Amino acid sequence: MKIEGEHTFNGPRNEVWEMIRDPEILASALPGTQKLNKLSDTDYEGTMNVRVGPVSGSFSGKLVVSDEVPPQSCTLTVDGKGAPGFVRGVGHIKFEEQETNTTYMTYEGEVTIGGTLASVGQRMIDSVAKSMIRQGFESMDKALEARLANKSGQQVEYKPPTETEFAASVAKDVAKSWYQIAEVRMVMYVIPAAILLALIGYILSQLLHR
Amino acid sequence: MDTRYIGKPIKRLEDPRLLTGQALFTDDVHLDGLLHAAFLRSDYAHARIKSIDVSEALKRPGVIAVYTAEDFGDYWHVGPLQVPPPIAIPNAKFHAKGLPPIARGKVRFSGEPLAVVVAESRYIAEDAAGDILVDVEPLDAVVDLEKAFEDTSVLIHEDIGTNMAALVKQEKGSYAEAAAKADFIIKRKFHIDRGSAGAMENRALIASWENRTQSMTIWTNNQAPIPLRNTIASNLGLSDSQVHVITAFTGGGFGPKIMTSQADDVLLPWISKKLNRPVKWIEDRRENFLATTSERDQVHYCELALTRDGKILGFSDVFYHNTGAYDPYGMTVPLNTMTHTMGSYIVPNFYTEVRMVFTNKMVVSPVRGAGRMYGNYVMERMLDAAARELKLDVVEIRRKNLIQPEMLPLHTGITGQDFVENVIDSGNYPETLRKALEMIGYEKFVKEDQPKLRAQGKKVGIGIVTFVEGTGVGPYEGAKVTIEGSGKINVATGISSQGQGHYTSFAQIVAEQLGVEPKDVRITTGDTDQFDWGAGTFASRGMTVAGTAIYLASVNVRKKILKTASKALNAPEEELEISGGEVRVADIPTKSIKLGDLANRANPTRGVIEPGVEPGLEATAYYGPPYGATGQGSVAIILEVDPETFEVKIQRFVLVHDAGNIMNPMIVEGQIMGGVQMGLGNAFYEEIAYDEYGQLQNASLMDYLIPSATEMPPKIELGHVVSPSPLNPLGLKGVGEAGAIPIPSCFHQAIENALENKIEITASPMNPSRLFELTHK
Repeated sequence: MKIEGEHTFNGPRNEVWEMIRDPEILASALPGTQKLNKLSDTDYEGTMNVRVGPVSGSFSGKLVVSDEVPPQSCTLTVDGKGAPGFVRGVGHIKFEEQETNTTYMTYEGEVTIGGTLASVGQRMIDSVAKSMIRQGFESMDKALEARLANKSGQQVEYKPPTETEFAASVAKDVAKSWYQIAEVRMVMYVIPAAILLALIGYILSQLLHR
Repeated sequence: MDTRYIGKPIKRLEDPRLLTGQALFTDDVHLDGLLHAAFLRSDYAHARIKSIDVSEALKRPGVIAVYTAEDFGDYWHVGPLQVPPPIAIPNAKFHAKGLPPIARGKVRFSGEPLAVVVAESRYIAEDAAGDILVDVEPLDAVVDLEKAFEDTSVLIHEDIGTNMAALVKQEKGSYAEAAAKADFIIKRKFHIDRGSAGAMENRALIASWENRTQSMTIWTNNQAPIPLRNTIASNLGLSDSQVHVITAFTGGGFGPKIMTSQADDVLLPWISKKLNRPVKWIEDRRENFLATTSERDQVHYCELALTRDGKILGFSDVFYHNTGAYDPYGMTVPLNTMTHTMGSYIVPNFYTEVRMVFTNKMVVSPVRGAGRMYGNYVMERMLDAAARELKLDVVEIRRKNLIQPEMLPLHTGITGQDFVENVIDSGNYPETLRKALEMIGYEKFVKEDQPKLRAQGKKVGIGIVTFVEGTGVGPYEGAKVTIEGSGKINVATGISSQGQGHYTSFAQIVAEQLGVEPKDVRITTGDTDQFDWGAGTFASRGMTVAGTAIYLASVNVRKKILKTASKALNAPEEELEISGGEVRVADIPTKSIKLGDLANRANPTRGVIEPGVEPGLEATAYYGPPYGATGQGSVAIILEVDPETFEVKIQRFVLVHDAGNIMNPMIVEGQIMGGVQMGLGNAFYEEIAYDEYGQLQNASLMDYLIPSATEMPPKIELGHVVSPSPLNPLGLKGVGEAGAIPIPSCFHQAIENALENKIEITASPMNPSRLFELTHK
């Protein structure tokens, strides 16, 4: 599966780069990540809880940073596996400094998903992946804000989202996309309407029998 | 033939028990000390196994044992093949790669077992399977059928140096000569995919070793209980008599349950013997999609050589068959394709070549139709292509090429799955076509109804095809019929039942011969202690082969009854009649004896018996045909395509069928309807979707679409033609797979007709998205 996208960070490029290379920030950006250990400057390992629809479980994996051209670009290689299946991917990230003291990031990559995750969770993978990426960026935005503020002397606390908050957010995103399907909306309206009609009918029949 | 029971729609004797939950299925079996097994299955489609660490799993409370390939030591072995290689066909190349019960060293398909966990409950076993750490080196997956045949850069079986599993060529006459003489040559490429059997009940096996009696009892829902028993006994170094396979009621077989070399068949008996405790395993639905055999895709390159007016001169079919990661079931499926391509038509010159390829996907074994469907699809679609290009009528091009009754029996010149030349024994092909056209009102629809509906903007179409079905193949089956002292009749045969109504249809045969009612006849199938010679239930052969054996045994019992009764009643055999459970002298009703009493007379516990006479009233008989009996039929469908959503709704469905003499018309209708449902699935709904990494993407009923009642035609109109088979005394032919075979070709022809031939369909299955793409190309 191809993934690609972009995101604009509110900060200068070298700050963004340093943040990306900070394992604490990375770990917190992907909640459900229980730990992210730095094995070396470029190799990390950790475990992460994942839920895609009915499939959930913990993944252990390796993350390798390579082809580094700081603070411009790098390649991330992920190799994770667990009871629900496996995820392997390669992604290329590019950062461009903008005049407005912001950083424009683009990413593109290829992800292979296998096991139960693929065979049962297939139809949800797209929306869950998008949601996870969105939330990851949101979290990193906040982290960047706190980092910049702390540097300028202000005390701003950065609280990464908890696993439950994250899961709830993903579920909401997925539900929202479901709600955009006409049939789902119809069902949402028809069922209460039918119940209402049945109730009215019952009440009326009771009244008539009196 | 005036009969009491044969040919009558007797209600099924087993139904009251089945419908009230009084029938034993494998999962219902509870044993003291029963353990449960769960398999850890590979997520990767192609990988080298570096290490499997089970230490965490063993720590979980309730886990009794965890086994990987190394733990089985010398017991770990590959195969054997369930179907022998096609050495009967000259110059056949075949690489035998039996199915390993559990992966060792290398994984070759996603779903291949890596470890077995045995625990106190299934829940604990599955959780423990999640604790196992597997370290693999992933390899590129081989998934493209045509590429894999030539490409040796990634090898699934390194030791053979190729991904080619087999190369078999057969020819009748000379296609090259036919092509040289032809006025037109039509060429097409077809991609045909099938799918899973999707039986309501999944595979299950319970192995129970009892040390104190040194015996192994197996409860299972296998289609080949006797080969299974023999394999298990041989694997464990036991006598056949120490292993007892009991086939419980089975919720559908359709092919995949014929496998006897999968992980559960091979490993569970060993585990039970090692732990001296019974072990049970039943598949869940995801495992069924992932790791139980199914049918996969074939790519066909066809050429049809014709005269100007549409007479077939020759047909050439070079096709690729995807056999999955191993080929334990030999070439049954592609051989069936080869023998069914010529179908109902006269094809004077025929060339067929199969290139069987290994891929990193689940292994192929027959699924209802077992390769016949591909042959039917390519011939019928090629005729439609010819009709399209030569501006001929689709019915006419079929009618003028049909095999005529006087040409039968016809030696086709092509060897089939039973390794003998396929011979069409009997049939009346013009009649089934004529009847189908009449029943659907073809002329009226095409001339009146369709133009009217089209004027209203409705996209309605009609399709008409013919099909053949090879059935009742050898090697043989046997049966034992016994009249007991109580007067009850006991029948045992080696095949097993998966819902075809054997308990009733077999009883009808016996009741007819022995003058009792079908309900007095107790049929036992698939119990190796009751009867242990036979091959199994496959290729629509249960009724034809086992039924005939039952018939022959009943005839012998009848002879014994008359002989014994003649002495008992002191009357010549010609004056005796058997009915109502007793034998009586025709004109003297008081001179009679009950069958049970007669059986007791023939089985004294004291005194002497005549030398050379067998005790009791019992006979065992075997039957093996020289080749299979060929059923045939024609299908006509009227359907409507929604011009915006491309959803398809069937309005009328006609199937005229010739399966020789019919034992129970009600059961036959049920078999045909069940087949139609599976055929519809293959035409428009079902597809096992693997991605380019060999990952299965739809291993649940959410995403694998099995047609439900709403997708079925509102009514299935059945017509019958009867051409008895000369190959067995009752004139029977098989019918189990008939409904499935012709549906995709007819369905697609009807869709093309509905869309006024603006598209041409050369792939199966179709679905609304694909129709949309074809229309908007």
